[in-house]
Order: sequence, then structure tokens, then C-alpha cells
Amino acid sequence: MSTNAKQGALYGLLTEFESPSLLMEAVEKVRDEGFKKWDVHTPFPVHGMDDAMGIRGTNLPFLVLGGGLTGLGLATLMQWWMNAVDYKFVISGKPLFGLPAAFPVMFELTVLFSAFAAFFGMWILNGLPKWYHPLFTNKRFRRATQDRFYIVVEAADPRFKLEETRSFLASLGGNVVEEVNESPED
Amino acid sequence: MSDHQVPSLEDTETTLGSLGPRVFAVSALVGVIGLAATIGLGLGEGDGFRHFGFSYLTNFAFFLSISLGALFFMPIMYVTRASWNVVMRRLAEVTAAVMPLMAVLAIPVIIFAGQIYGWADPEVAASHGMSHKAAYLSQNMFILRWVIYFAIWTGYSWFFWKTSVKQDSTRDVALTRRLENYSGFALMVCALSLAAASFDLLMSIDPLWFSTMFGVYYWAGGFVTFFAVMTLFTLGLQNSGRMRGIVSPEHFHDYGKAMFAFTFFWGYIAFSQYMLYWYANIPEETHWFLVRSQNGWGEVGLILIFATFALPFAGLISRYAKRSRKMLAFWAFWIIIAQWINLYWVVMPQFSESFIISPMDVTAFFGIGGLWLAGITKLAMGNSLVPSGDPRLEDSLRFENA
Repeated sequence: MSTNAKQGALYGLLTEFESPSLLMEAVEKVRDEGFKKWDVHTPFPVHGMDDAMGIRGTNLPFLVLGGGLTGLGLATLMQWWMNAVDYKFVISGKPLFGLPAAFPVMFELTVLFSAFAAFFGMWILNGLPKWYHPLFTNKRFRRATQDRFYIVVEAADPRFKLEETRSFLASLGGNVVEEVNESPED
Repeated sequence: MSDHQVPSLEDTETTLGSLGPRVFAVSALVGVIGLAATIGLGLGEGDGFRHFGFSYLTNFAFFLSISLGALFFMPIMYVTRASWNVVMRRLAEVTAAVMPLMAVLAIPVIIFAGQIYGWADPEVAASHGMSHKAAYLSQNMFILRWVIYFAIWTGYSWFFWKTSVKQDSTRDVALTRRLENYSGFALMVCALSLAAASFDLLMSIDPLWFSTMFGVYYWAGGFVTFFAVMTLFTLGLQNSGRMRGIVSPEHFHDYGKAMFAFTFFWGYIAFSQYMLYWYANIPEETHWFLVRSQNGWGEVGLILIFATFALPFAGLISRYAKRSRKMLAFWAFWIIIAQWINLYWVVMPQFSESFIISPMDVTAFFGIGGLWLAGITKLAMGNSLVPSGDPRLEDSLRFENA
């Protein structure tokens, strides 16, 4: 990792809070400031955070719906082609393509493709797989899994201007504002 | 959601108050008139109350299934130590605790058993297929079993309801622990008794037919209808100014999820029952479906596929629909009607091989439904509509879908 070409490049700014209530107030201010590429990190789920951050609904359900319909269509076509076209064989007097007999496979493939769409769609929307995250370079950030709450605004945000954003974050009432680099300096 | 206040019971009305006697009087009146009209119409048929018996049975089985759904809901919530439902649980408690009234309403089914059930017909009882069943499917055993079923259901529903009401004043956590300890066994006993009761109530109309899946089939329909009824009860109370603020879209979202899930579950069970018999193609198994796929009943069956399964499934799939009061109310109404059609399709083809519908079916619906609602209202009066002493109430009030 340390041979990354972007060594030392700025990933974003981080500010730390000591309680969920302090964090919530700050989060709403960041949202109202119009930032888009930013995130909040907490040791446990904080209720109401999605609304406070102004996170809009995800497109994942539509991917899952598409996956499910693909599975349903594929299963129907596959069974129809196998049983009624490619290898016609009468089994216990049933029609060559009997819907009741085809339903279990249609159901299973719908579920399977929906699950694939949900799982891999989640990867794509989250930018995964990603072996490494710039926030891991920050020693302070380790307490995100224990007892501290963080707001991180990315340098890639169109509204991001280093000095202005730094003073804005400092005005939120957090402990510190720190720069986070793409990769460790040492 | 930007105010992070936990809603308080003190901010809203949590008793039925003046609404109670009004709803009780109206629904009891509708019930009595409905039953009287059904009896009158049944008398007019001049068939020794045979048609009356089938209409009555359809509607009795329908409302019983909702109360049985409520009876299952409580122990499931206790064994899983769930908290989301606590704020609405009292409504489920009274819906189940109406069981003694259902026992009284079961009496006409027992009186007219000879008109309804195939096993009471000496000719059928003498047939080869009945030789091993005759001892079980007899008048005395039938009555004895119904006494046992209602003893179990009344016992458990009153135990859950009374204990919860007691907790309102004592706030004793030990009462919750007690209910949790009893819930696992309660679920087993109720599952077995419900399966056996569904065989007696609906499957034995045609005593030669059998399905091991029938208990689950009846339960699944009742459980999804129960969630639809709970949704409408809660929405109705909120529209009358009660339970406002404390029951949030988050709670309705969960009722929506339950309706969605058990709509699919019902479809899954109904199809599994059908497919196994379709595939094996053995006459003694398929004749039940044969009757129901001819002479107009087949069209009802086709309607069922869409009305009870496909359309509510598609309609409730989105998060938006589950959180919208109007859409949720629409699908709740829809599911109630669709599940009623389902039971009609199970019961009525045994009365008439070609499609039939009569005003009696509607009057019996309002007759039994009116008395059932009056009973529930009576039980809900006097106590809080919210289990205010439950240790998980605060969790429930804070509940949010992740």
C-alpha cells in the first residue's frame, strides 16, 4: 500500500465528537451546507441518522427487482425449452410444459437471482471490493469502533475547499479537525 | 424525525373512552340483525338449514382464524423477545381473548354438523375410505374435540391478556419473564390444536379427502388476515384521535412487512398443497381440487391466485407502500376480502358443485363479524389500549426500521 502513487494526497477532513447528540446537531449542519461526498462513522447504529444526513433511498431495490424478474423469465424459458422443445418426453401423463411443475424452479431462480442482484449490487453501489480505505491511515479514527463519533468530508466533494471546510468543521463543536491522507505518510 | 424526543403515552388518548360503548352498541346491533337475517334466510331455503350451515361455517371459520392469528402473535413476540409490537400488542390480546364468544358461536356449527359434514351422512360413513376414520369423525368425538380446542385457546388467550393487563398497574418485569417461559409450550400446543381444529372445521366437510398441509393453510390465511385487521384497528383508532404519535410509520411499516411476508407464505402453502396432488394425480386426492376447478369454482380459484397472492404481493413490495397509511389501509381491506373468498372457495363447493352465492353469506359475515367486534370492543373497554407497564414499551416507542 505504501507504494501508492497518490501517497500523501489529501482524502478529506475528519472531525471527532464525544456523544451521539453532539454528532447529530453537527450532522444536520453538514447536510444543510450542501455537501454530497461525506460520511458519518459511529460505534453503533444511531437512530434517525439517515434523515439527519439527508440520505436518499437507494436504487438497490430496483436492481433486486430486475434480478428477480430475470430469474423468473430465465427459469420459465429454460424449462419450456428443455421439456417442450429440446427433449420432449411425456412424464406421468403431464403436459410437456406444465406450469405447476415449473413453478418450484421459477421460484428458486427468482430468489437466487434476486439474492445475486442484492449482494453484488450492494458491492457495486458501495464501490466494493476495496482492499483498503484511506481512513485506516488515521490513528484517531480507530476509536470509531469504541467510543468516538466522526464526520468525514471528502476532498472530492465539489464544495470542498481546504481552508473554508476546515474552519466550517471546526465550528461544529467537535474535538479536533484532522486531515486524512490517501495513504500513510510513514 | 429531527426532534429526537421519545413519544410519551401522556401526549395521546390511550383508552377507548366514549368510543367504546358506541362501537360496542353498533357492532352488537349489526351482529344480532345479521344473525337474525341469516336465520330467516336459512329458514326460507327450506333445506333443513343446510345452506345456512355452510354460510355460517364459512364466516365462523373466517373470524375464528383472525382470533387464532392473534393467539399465535403474542407468544411469537414473547419467545423472540421482540419489542417493536409492544405499543400495539393490547389490540392483539383482546382480539385473541374473544375466544369464549367464539366458543358460543361454534354451537350452531355443532348443531348443524349433521347437515354440513360428510362423515355425518350414514352412506358416506359406511364407505370403504371411512372405515379407519369412523371412530374419530363421529358426533361425540367432534363435540369433545371442540370443547378441548376452546379450553386450550380460551386458557392461553386469557392468560396472556390478563397477565398483560395486570402488568399495567404492577409494572412487574417478572410477569414478562413468566409469559416468555410459557410461550414456547403455548406455541406448540396451539399449533397442534389449530391443525386438528382445521381438519375438523373445514377438511372433514369432505371426510374422504386429506391434506397434511391443511392446518398450515388455514393458519397462514388467518395470520395474514390478522395483520390486516390489526392495521385497520390501529389506523381507525388513530383517526378517532387515539394512540396518535405513539404508533408511528415505523410500526405500520412492520405490519406492512408482515402482511407482505404472510401473503407470500399463504401463496407458497396453497401452491404446495395443490402441486403435490396435481403431480401425484391420485383420484382420492385430486377430487377435492376437481370439484373446485369446475362449474364456476375454477374461475373463483383463478381469481384467488391474483387476489390473495399476486396482487397484494406486488402491491406491498415497495417500502413506500408499507409506510403509506392509505395504501396500507387499501391492501389491508383487500387482503381481508380476498382471504374471505379463499375460505368461501374451500367451504362452499361442498354444498353446491356449481358456483353459488347467496345473501346469507353476507348477512352471516356481518352477523358473526358484528358480534366478534362487539366482543373485542367489550374486552378493550376499561383498560388502556397500550400495555403501559411492559418493560419493552419504551423500546417500542423508540422503534425505527434500520
